[in-house]
Amino acid sequence: MPATETPLPSARRIARIAPARKERANQLPYALVLLAVAAAVAYELVVRRESPVSGFVWIVGIALGLAMQRSRFCFTAAMRDPLLTGSTSLTKAVIVGLAVATAGFAAAQFGAFSKAGQFADAMKLSSLDPVGLHTVVGGVLFGIGAVIAGGCATGTLMRAGEGFVQQWLALPFFVVGSAAGAASYPLWKAALFVDPKRVVYLPKALGGFGLALVLQFGLLLAAWLAADWWGKRKATIH
Amino acid sequence: MTPDSELSRGPGPAATPPAIAVDQGGRVRLRERETYKTLFVNPWTYTTGAVVLALLNVVLLLATGKAWGVTTSLTYWGAWAWRWLGGQPQHWRYFAEIKPAFNRPGFDFLADAGSLTNVGIVLGALLAALLANQFRVKKLKAKRQIVAAVAGGLLMGFGARLAFGCNIGAMFTAIPALSLHGWVFLVSIFAGAAVGSRLLLRYFV
Repeated sequence: MPATETPLPSARRIARIAPARKERANQLPYALVLLAVAAAVAYELVVRRESPVSGFVWIVGIALGLAMQRSRFCFTAAMRDPLLTGSTSLTKAVIVGLAVATAGFAAAQFGAFSKAGQFADAMKLSSLDPVGLHTVVGGVLFGIGAVIAGGCATGTLMRAGEGFVQQWLALPFFVVGSAAGAASYPLWKAALFVDPKRVVYLPKALGGFGLALVLQFGLLLAAWLAADWWGKRKATIH
Repeated sequence: MTPDSELSRGPGPAATPPAIAVDQGGRVRLRERETYKTLFVNPWTYTTGAVVLALLNVVLLLATGKAWGVTTSLTYWGAWAWRWLGGQPQHWRYFAEIKPAFNRPGFDFLADAGSLTNVGIVLGALLAALLANQFRVKKLKAKRQIVAAVAGGLLMGFGARLAFGCNIGAMFTAIPALSLHGWVFLVSIFAGAAVGSRLLLRYFV
């Protein structure tokens, strides 16, 4: 920027003196280049591959990254901060997100279910995966990894985009760990008693959507209230 | 610049540009306009972010029949890399039993919704940072961060396979999808985060 030698308008001088407002080169042109790249990928998907759904998924992905960066969202911090700093604002936000998504998912599933009264139709719109000891072991390992690496799956992707070198490093090793996990499946399948058919769809297990949703929203509300209480309690101690 | 001229044509307050938004030539600077700041610079609240993420996840489910997931695609990336190096991941029992899509004819990076959203997230975050003029390479501050990134990345990758998902697939998607494994994963990741915090304070800070 050529603004250094010429006399500055007073407002700009103030902006310069103001803390944490280092004048950076205009990054907008790069944003426009990036938008052109995104549009080219969308063109490839929609026109060349004749898959409008893929093009839509691509745009949703970009929107997810944008939303996470704008809101400084971090699932890891939502899990870590209640114990590390006592802050629960992110935790409460995640719970609100879970409640909103539950309403949408349950509506879609119930719509599918009510066509023929078959849980199987609703379960196609769920994302059912096996549950068992391996879920616990995997969750604990994942939680440790996310806190150490400074970002979970989405956080790693988002921070990689934001320019964090630590996440540029973490991401390839995340991929290596994933592939190692898939390659060693026969080993841990036996060791942790994995049964690929042991999936539990709550509405089916509890005999209907009513009880499942009462339980679900009840648990989410209880978790939110606990997080709210914990955050206030910690705030008064400090 | 086009963005500037576009703005000066805009209705309302743009007609009388505030002093701070004037550039050398007296033009309105796009990045200092209030509307621009509201859209692209000012941070959102956590709750706004969470609700937008939740709605996008519902949109994904309705549009494709499959909700948001991250780490299955990272597994594909690793398997594709392994194949490129001469390995034969197509014979892994994992893909035969758990993710048969991997061996479907014509299945590749651009045909995998999770790969598209994963790259989209990186690109979207970069785009958001550039639009806000906040992008900068954040260098490592200590060698310990290398160990943390490598160990943390490996643990997350391996752990996510054991649990059949990550904080998204096995939590942010699985819980709303009314699958029990989401709740079990939530409690477990919380316990893991507690252990991780101790390790972080002891070795990595």
